[in-house]
Amino acid sequence: MVKKSSLGRQKIPIEKIPKKNHLQVTFSKRRAGLFKKASELCTLCGVEIGIVVFSPASKPFSFGHPEVESLFDRFLTRNPPPKNSSSHQLIEAHRNASVHELNLYLTQLVNQLEAEKKHGDELDQIKKDTRRQCWWTAPIDELGLHELEQLRAALLILKKNVGRQISEILIESSTNPSQI
Amino acid sequence: MTRKKVKLQYISNDSARKATFKKRKKGLMKKVSELTTLCGIDACAIVYSPYDSQPEIWPSPGGVQRVLSRFKKLPEMEQSKKMVNQESFLRQRIAKANEQLKKMSKDNREKEMTEVMFQGLAGKPLLNLNLMDLNDLGWLIEQNLKDINKRVDLLTKGPHNSQVPLSSTMAGASGTMVAPPDAALDRTGGMEMNMDAMQRQQQWFTDMMHSHDHVGFGGDDMMFPFADGNHNNLWSNPFFP
Repeated sequence: MVKKSSLGRQKIPIEKIPKKNHLQVTFSKRRAGLFKKASELCTLCGVEIGIVVFSPASKPFSFGHPEVESLFDRFLTRNPPPKNSSSHQLIEAHRNASVHELNLYLTQLVNQLEAEKKHGDELDQIKKDTRRQCWWTAPIDELGLHELEQLRAALLILKKNVGRQISEILIESSTNPSQI
Repeated sequence: MTRKKVKLQYISNDSARKATFKKRKKGLMKKVSELTTLCGIDACAIVYSPYDSQPEIWPSPGGVQRVLSRFKKLPEMEQSKKMVNQESFLRQRIAKANEQLKKMSKDNREKEMTEVMFQGLAGKPLLNLNLMDLNDLGWLIEQNLKDINKRVDLLTKGPHNSQVPLSSTMAGASGTMVAPPDAALDRTGGMEMNMDAMQRQQQWFTDMMHSHDHVGFGGDDMMFPFADGNHNNLWSNPFFP
């Protein structure tokens, strides 16, 4: 039986979470999600954001675009935004370019992950279908002693065949070195 | 709520950008607020935009001040440990995504080869398998044989040994396919495999190359004769005509 990997999205009341473990997990996940949203907002709208979050264990996590320190100092000292010197613009352009590239790469990876997950689901479905027809695909724990012995015998034969095929390939490649 | 997939790049259309900004900024503030309440922690957010001379902040000027001074009071090293900017944050996400992708491909590979193995058992000839496929297949067979042997031992020794976890599955042989498998196959109550993974792979490979036909089935052909008639339709399986 394929177990559900998680409960999925659940609606929870916005009040302090009673269970410590649950609280820790929630913090981890939501903190990451928060930074992700902030990062997206910076990219999409070209704005500057600074966030500080203290974990339940009092560890500080901070996100800042362009940089945490300068942004916080700017706020604290009520400074006007720094003048855009040409060197400053160059640095900014360079940074924007690398962020852009990173975003592209990340998007590509996320797409690949989605495709791979879909592939995995398809394979699970195939497995489910064959399971019905072939008793040997059941988990080992569900098989009786007699079945296990039969299965073992069949696997040993299969193993032999695999070995033979491998030798064939290796022999062929040693006479025809270009083959592999 | 729109569910269109947005491209992760600067929105050039001015009005679209402003609209997105308003919505997402509101959402961001909501998320910060929820995080503080749910987890009972301190946080603050500051957003500078071209749309406002003053930064938009959460929770309040006083609140932000308080959190920032708590932050600044900490030693430099503590401050920087979990400090990220966009670049470093994206790199972290990329690293994580790469890891997940690697694991998922390996798992899928194992699922695929398991299918091949099942088909082999049903009598389907081993066609179109390259050296790498055969290698992985052989490894998978070996893992399954190990599990079967353990299970058979358990069953033949009698029902006294109830310590072995019953969670093993045929297709769930732990370990990886292409790269050297992970060491921990914790089946018999805590005995971790000490053998180097590479060694193990080579070991079964050598075994296989020199294996004798212990089983006593005469045939040299690809079909697998299940000797007795108890499960008649094994071979002439309609699945693989």
